[in-house]
Amino acid sequence: MPDDARKLYRAEQDVVPAPGASTTLTVHIDGQPRTAVEGETLLQVARRAGCDVPTLCHDERLQPTGACRMCLVESSDSRRLVPSCRHPVADGQQVQTASARVLRHRQALLALYAADQPEQIVPGSELEVAMRRHGVAEGVPSVSSARAGRPEDANRFIQFQPDRCILCARCTRYCDEVEAVAAIAVGHRGPQTTIVTADMRGLLDTTCELCGGCVDTCPTGALVEKKAAPRQMELASLPTVRTTCGYCGVGCQMDLSVDREKGQIVRVQSPPPGTTTNDGNLCVKGRFATGYVGHPDRLTVPLLRDRTTGQLVPSTWDEALDRAHSLLVDAKARHGAHALAFISSSRATNEENYLAQKLARAAFGTNNCHQCAAT
Amino acid sequence: MTNAISEIRDADLLFVIGSNTTEAHPIIAMEMKRAVHRGAKLIVADPRQTWLGGWADLHLQLWPGTDVALLSAMAHVILAEGLQDQGYIDTHTENFEAVRAAVADWTPARAEAITGVPAADIAAAARLYATTPRAGIYYTLGITEHTHGTDNVFCLSNLVLLTGHLGQRSAGLNPLRGQNNVQGANDSGATPVFLPGYQRVDDPAARARYSAIWGREVPSAKGLNLNQMMHELRDGGLKAMLVIGEDILVSEPDVAGLDRAVSELDALIVVDLFMTETAKQADVVLPAAAFAEKDGTFTNSERRVQRVRQAVPPPGQARPDWQILAALLERSGVEPVRGVATSALTPAQIYEEMASGTDKFAGISHARIEREGGLQWPCPTADHKGTDFLHQGGPMRGKGLLVPVNYRPSVERPDADWPLCLSTGRTLYHYNVATQTKREQGLLDRHPGCFVEVHPDDASRYGLRDGGRAEVSTRRGAIEVDVHVSERVQLGMIWLPMHFAEARANLLTIDAGDEVTGTAEYKVCAAAIAPR
Repeated sequence: MPDDARKLYRAEQDVVPAPGASTTLTVHIDGQPRTAVEGETLLQVARRAGCDVPTLCHDERLQPTGACRMCLVESSDSRRLVPSCRHPVADGQQVQTASARVLRHRQALLALYAADQPEQIVPGSELEVAMRRHGVAEGVPSVSSARAGRPEDANRFIQFQPDRCILCARCTRYCDEVEAVAAIAVGHRGPQTTIVTADMRGLLDTTCELCGGCVDTCPTGALVEKKAAPRQMELASLPTVRTTCGYCGVGCQMDLSVDREKGQIVRVQSPPPGTTTNDGNLCVKGRFATGYVGHPDRLTVPLLRDRTTGQLVPSTWDEALDRAHSLLVDAKARHGAHALAFISSSRATNEENYLAQKLARAAFGTNNCHQCAAT
Repeated sequence: MTNAISEIRDADLLFVIGSNTTEAHPIIAMEMKRAVHRGAKLIVADPRQTWLGGWADLHLQLWPGTDVALLSAMAHVILAEGLQDQGYIDTHTENFEAVRAAVADWTPARAEAITGVPAADIAAAARLYATTPRAGIYYTLGITEHTHGTDNVFCLSNLVLLTGHLGQRSAGLNPLRGQNNVQGANDSGATPVFLPGYQRVDDPAARARYSAIWGREVPSAKGLNLNQMMHELRDGGLKAMLVIGEDILVSEPDVAGLDRAVSELDALIVVDLFMTETAKQADVVLPAAAFAEKDGTFTNSERRVQRVRQAVPPPGQARPDWQILAALLERSGVEPVRGVATSALTPAQIYEEMASGTDKFAGISHARIEREGGLQWPCPTADHKGTDFLHQGGPMRGKGLLVPVNYRPSVERPDADWPLCLSTGRTLYHYNVATQTKREQGLLDRHPGCFVEVHPDDASRYGLRDGGRAEVSTRRGAIEVDVHVSERVQLGMIWLPMHFAEARANLLTIDAGDEVTGTAEYKVCAAAIAPR
């Protein structure tokens, strides 16, 4: 399986039988016998077996709908091709995930999706990855036509580009089933069908909590981080750095897309579902509130209180560290170690907290070291 | 947390008390919603009608500060109706009779008179909790930020031990940590009581261990906790402070008196990202690196040690805290890490030195996290896979200690002059004192400034209108804020977010701390309100 596919599918490879599930079945995937558990879907078993079955509407956090038809496979219990994402396993099933018939369907479908997208497909989107991996049938001309949308709204985080929407409803199902605020829904009919809010209001005037999970789950880039939208076509080529969120104590893992030349964080994404504690989710602060990092208000030079003017003035690091050290040494000499206090930080790293208490204890001989940790 | 976060989705019952989870821990709230979707029962105890409260099978809207009464009555019902797990109690706990005696008089009717929660709901909650397998308790600062915070926690641990809801997947006692590295800061020994790995400073063997590692004697004199430091500061007992990443003049309770005390310090050294209110008073201000500008580890609420990785360079000359602290250690003649030149120091080596003195993290290293992802302590050896839930096969200390608790009211209660109960907390769109979140316009669009939630009947009584302005005052100070008329708060209670330096909620709060932890009573004080 190619690397980008592995990244997308890692979650399914980790599937283990649910506790209590006892009935073990055998399913033949592309001729190979595979063990499965009652209640699993063909897609889960096929992906665990390493088969490259593409999907667009599937997100393992959501109830499967079988809407996009990309995951169609041949199964011995059905005359027609079946959507593997919602087709249950049965003992003795014979399943073909890459037969000529399946491939023909897959490529034709991809051609239809591609035909209804604006000029360039968003690189790195699940649609683009599927097209690159599975090929597109020739001979389907572009039928791209403007889609109905909703008026641009004032929120600064989430942008909806209706022309890229394939109506897979992952965003609305995520909003309903995972975030459980149901701020967006599929609305209108026929060619007017689109993603709507109540009365087509802006997201700030809905129940939306701006978590951005809709952006992360969108397979085409129809939903995009508003600040990153002007660079949408290059986002997939930016390097990413996996780190831990600096806000609350959940410890969400996040992937920062970085512009190395400018030293900027361009966007924040969650690692794929099933791979980390946050299971593909982030909240509004983790995903969107990193603006403080490169903010012009940041302190950039050490400052010392000028003894004559009383003002804080820039200094070198050596001067500032010498002054800080001598102030602490003098205070200890005059008043004793108990007159010193070291307030470390529950925002700082373990290593930093360790050095802070070591500074208090080993260097200044006091246990007066604490931080703002109340829970 | 005794459980892992991923276990929440498989729980049969969630008892969430003093935690506005959807706003303060949104991702854990998603797991709770997932459990409820799956059919788990949800009990929420909170003075406010929180979002999660709206989802609950039972919402116990208790009067602020009456948790001990509520929880004692739940224990009473469990014992009176024989719903306890006597086998677990006999095998794995001690002091049962003392707790039985302590809760004997706490009938639900008596608790109703104090908490305002209907006796039938208290009894129903007790029965549901005791009789549902895989029942987990989740709490946050609504439990701990009281003068009886430790008592509250004992009441919860009593419920856990009486029912044996411990040492299993999805069942246990789970404090949700408020800051990214509350867990890790305590794990790493940045507390007056403990060296790294919760080894007590008053234990000579623990002191000897780190004295040997450092080549310097670990002091034995008792240290001050944060609340005690603030008292000493006010009383003039502290002369020099090094403050890293906390704006104490905004975040500490009853801040009015602190401004003066801080200005009288001989020395104040502040390490921070921004020119905070505290930094403005400093003799030396050292510019620090933000999380995305440095390497290291954070430890989350479920004890999982995870990597922080540098993605962008710090602005200007700003440096990570660990480099600043290493430079100060070096100037004091102490090697930041024994045997490593300060110029060649890495966070991985710092972690290694810390872990070398404690079994809890001895098996964890940066290299291992790089290979395997985050690891949950205890993790004593390099081939140990870490520990997802604690107390399997019985409490770690041997016998779980049941602790009898007496109900004590909050220090300051409403009276004729200060007729309202003021509580404080967080919102989804801001974080702590908002030094970070107020710099994100998209968040300010939702919550541009401070507001007070007032019950509709109180609003009419005090002449307040929704969207208008009001002055909220206590014995200690007054601030002006927007009015949100809302049934989320009870009659007689008002609520303020703590985030805004422009309207410092902590000019109002009371500087009274829990006797054991020193944690301040941010959740209850007496207040008055008037239109402006």
